[in-house]
Amino acid sequence: MSEKVKVTNLVKTFGDNEVLKGINLTVQNNEVVVIIGPSGSGKSTLLRNLNKLEEPTSGSIVIDNVDIARDDVDINSVRENIGMVFQHFNLFKNLSVGENIMLAPVELKKEAKDEAEDQAKKLLATVGLEEKFDATVQSLSGGQQQRVAIARALAMNPDIMLFDEPTSALDPEMVGDVLEVMKRLAKQGMTMVVVTHEMGFAKEVADRVVFVDDGQILEEGTPEQIFEHPKNERLQDFLNKILNV
Amino acid sequence: MKRKVLTAFGLLAMFATILFCLGLPGSKAQAKTYQIGTDVTYPPFEFANKSNKYVGIDIDIMQAIAKEEGFKVNVKPVGFNAAVQSVQSGQLDGIIAGMTITPERKDKFDFGTPYYKTGAVMAVKKGSDITSLKQLKGKKVALKTGTAAADYANSLKKKYGFKTVTFDDSDNMYQDVTTGNSVACFDDQPVLQYGIKHGLKLQIATKPANQGWYGFGVKKGTHKELVQKFNAGLKKIRANGTYDKIVGKYLGTTANSKVKGKTFIIGTDVTFPPFEFANKNNKYVGIDMDLIRAIANEQGFKVKIKALGFNAAVQAVESGQADGVIAGMSITNERKAQFDFSKPYFNSGVVMAVAKNSKIHKLSQLKGKKVAVKTGTSGADYANSIKKKYGFKVVTFDDSNNMYQDVTTGNSIACFEDHPVMQYAIKQGTKLKIVTKPALNAPYGFAVKKGHNKALLQAFNTGLEDLKASGTYDTIKAKYLGADEIKTAAKTSGNSAEDRTFIGLIKQNKGALLSGLQETLWLTVVSIFFATIFGVLVGLMGVVPNKFSRGTSTTLIYLFRGMPLLVLALFIYTGIPSLTGQKIPAFIAGVVTLTFNEGAYIAAFVKGGIQAVDPGQMEAARSLGLPFGKSMRKIILPQGIKIMVPSFINQFIITLKDTSILSIIGLLELTQTGKIIIARNLEGFKVWTIVAAIYLIIITVLTWLSNWVQRRTKV
Ligand SMILES: Nc1ncnc2c1ncn2[C@@H]1O[C@H](COP(=O)(O)OP(=O)(O)OP(=O)(O)O)[C@@H](O)[C@H]1O
Ligand SMILES: [Mg+2]
Repeated sequence: MSEKVKVTNLVKTFGDNEVLKGINLTVQNNEVVVIIGPSGSGKSTLLRNLNKLEEPTSGSIVIDNVDIARDDVDINSVRENIGMVFQHFNLFKNLSVGENIMLAPVELKKEAKDEAEDQAKKLLATVGLEEKFDATVQSLSGGQQQRVAIARALAMNPDIMLFDEPTSALDPEMVGDVLEVMKRLAKQGMTMVVVTHEMGFAKEVADRVVFVDDGQILEEGTPEQIFEHPKNERLQDFLNKILNV
Repeated sequence: MKRKVLTAFGLLAMFATILFCLGLPGSKAQAKTYQIGTDVTYPPFEFANKSNKYVGIDIDIMQAIAKEEGFKVNVKPVGFNAAVQSVQSGQLDGIIAGMTITPERKDKFDFGTPYYKTGAVMAVKKGSDITSLKQLKGKKVALKTGTAAADYANSLKKKYGFKTVTFDDSDNMYQDVTTGNSVACFDDQPVLQYGIKHGLKLQIATKPANQGWYGFGVKKGTHKELVQKFNAGLKKIRANGTYDKIVGKYLGTTANSKVKGKTFIIGTDVTFPPFEFANKNNKYVGIDMDLIRAIANEQGFKVKIKALGFNAAVQAVESGQADGVIAGMSITNERKAQFDFSKPYFNSGVVMAVAKNSKIHKLSQLKGKKVAVKTGTSGADYANSIKKKYGFKVVTFDDSNNMYQDVTTGNSIACFEDHPVMQYAIKQGTKLKIVTKPALNAPYGFAVKKGHNKALLQAFNTGLEDLKASGTYDTIKAKYLGADEIKTAAKTSGNSAEDRTFIGLIKQNKGALLSGLQETLWLTVVSIFFATIFGVLVGLMGVVPNKFSRGTSTTLIYLFRGMPLLVLALFIYTGIPSLTGQKIPAFIAGVVTLTFNEGAYIAAFVKGGIQAVDPGQMEAARSLGLPFGKSMRKIILPQGIKIMVPSFINQFIITLKDTSILSIIGLLELTQTGKIIIARNLEGFKVWTIVAAIYLIIITVLTWLSNWVQRRTKV
């Protein structure tokens, strides 16, 4: 196994508010890392730093031996290799399902239209939505939209996928479909960083679970270590609250 | 003989210099005296006058420049060749001697800015039928040695087959033509012009050819500061009119030659019959109009009449957008501070008019009542000056017609107006009567901006005198105010014959209304086009991640949205030219005004529309690796534009309506057209109804269109 992402001393402040207080985190190739933590602890901020949707305040973020925290990196080409899935899907409302998936390949890889279309249809098939190629975004359910969003992120053939609470905006009966797709991705060996409250998913799929609280990583380990033998008091509190609801 | 004169003058000049220096011992230190050489006799540029004082265009210009620039000159008439040599040897500092700037001379001299344009013309005996060079074949032609005109004639000799006789001085050359020995002579135009003015029995037969410029020269590479002073001074005396005065003094007809063939923009009022109003064919007529056209015709210049409204016309002249104003403008001392007036061309006075059935007949009855006046008129000045004494209130209108209406409807009890105007309006059917004798007798004058357009003013005065002498002036006046004025007036405006129903009014004014509408639509379309470009650019600047650009966008929107359209229009049309000295056509000023104003609104909703798009859309696009610009184009703008469409169509309609405000700068759009038609037929209610209906129809069509577009984009 080799290092895919290495975050060192990452600090992020919004004005006076220090949201990330020196994060050190390593993600290996083909590893699935699940980030858990209370609301407002900085999980999303950490994830968004990894593709620079937020500008890091200090520290380094080395991906494939390139420190993307520096100002001189071409962030657009870095992002081509990092797929991101959002809590609220963020599908392009002015485009059809197929166009959502084809946009980046056509615009950035200069792929031919029909080639991109073939690929889009294949991706839609893998998320179980092959018949929705021409559908409008508005006609899809939340679960379907999120699966299209995953397919869109995969269209650029990324080697890392970032998920920010991909199921928390969904009705319970749709959560399963989305998690299913993610599990399959994990099995195929995709490097994934997932922020989620789905503890079942974490236990089954995660290679490592990271507990973030108040902008710091307080504990990390295998799912077993984290869920069965939590050492940190705050982690114990957190797990109690979540599991007993 | 010549040499004697020369020496005598040299001595005289020296003597004068010595006397001068002795008399003013302190002044020598302050101002350097330059020694300038000139020719002995080259009228009108340099010659000794009756009292043996050296005068002429060259001399006077040199003196005027010296005075302007604060240095002293001693002009020595040493003769042309001697002057040239003395300058080269350093005995003299400069030469001004009707010296044409030529490439050869430039090798030896540095010249100042050319100060006089000249050219060679052919002159023939008065009454001769020779009018072209072709008629010279086989004939004898007289020339003066060493002149540019002689060179010119010699160059034509072969082609036209004439013989030349050469003389040493001008007088002999002229004499050879008047006696019939030679059929023609060639000389510099100003020289001949001057001679003819002073009784030479010749006439100029050709246009100036081989044109060149006279220049002031110094020895090459020396006296740089003198040339600079000369140039600076020349600029000043050109600007302040001294130059024209000097040339006029010697050549007499400068006014004419200065204005000949030129086109002047003359501002006038829209509504001031009988002085200016549009007739049935929407051509401007009236005493002012006929007079200025007749004078222009007589003096050989052209006028472009701009019916801007009195205030706008006055401002247009002040800002240089128009060259002159003729608008029944009384000559007052205040106005004299801003304008130069012609000699009075009409004598007017202020009268009070009341409704036909009113019992009011004297000023003392006005106590506590309202009185209507029109802004900027002497009627208004008069009313304001007596309102305290008689205790009445003043209501101000921009337009005579509205003022009359205020009295006929009983809103105001009386109005004050210039006598002829009131007379004419009553003849035209205004239900008012004049109850006082003319007060405050005031002469009307044609005005130009103070210190500008001297030639035009002079031409007006000369022309006016000529028209008075020839009787044309009286004819014009009688046409509008004469004994048979009732009939004439009726004829002019066709009062009784015209169909005054709505249909009739539309029929008569169809052409004017349509062209007004066309101008309105054209203004709207052109303005909205540029406003959209401006607005989208400024709007986009407001959303890019760059503080400076966002600040600029906010400032521009703030600035142009915060300024009333009317103020912006006046600022651009009259303010900018005052700053830059560059005229702006009204249409362009109008488009610029609307571009900024409507563009600011467009920018605001472009910015708002983009900001209304869910920020998650931008994040998703960027997370895929799309650059900012591409994300904007492919994802944000298509969604933002959908949000903007209703606002955009709304803005289009607002722009169409806002064009009416541009009538203030005299644009002949629909509203201004309405004003002009009403000025003629005084049918305010009906014409405004028609104009309003036209606006409504167009706006209804646009609203339908907008709904259709919105329905289509909503899918
Ligand atoms: N753009 C921003 N500007 C200012 N403060 C921000 C911004 N984004 C996040 N924050 C603050 O940073 C802190 C961490 O936010 P973050 O969204 O990373 O938390 P989270 O762990 O993802 O929480 P949740 O589970 O609710 O999603 C919060 O206090 C939040 O208010
Ligand atoms: Mg979050």
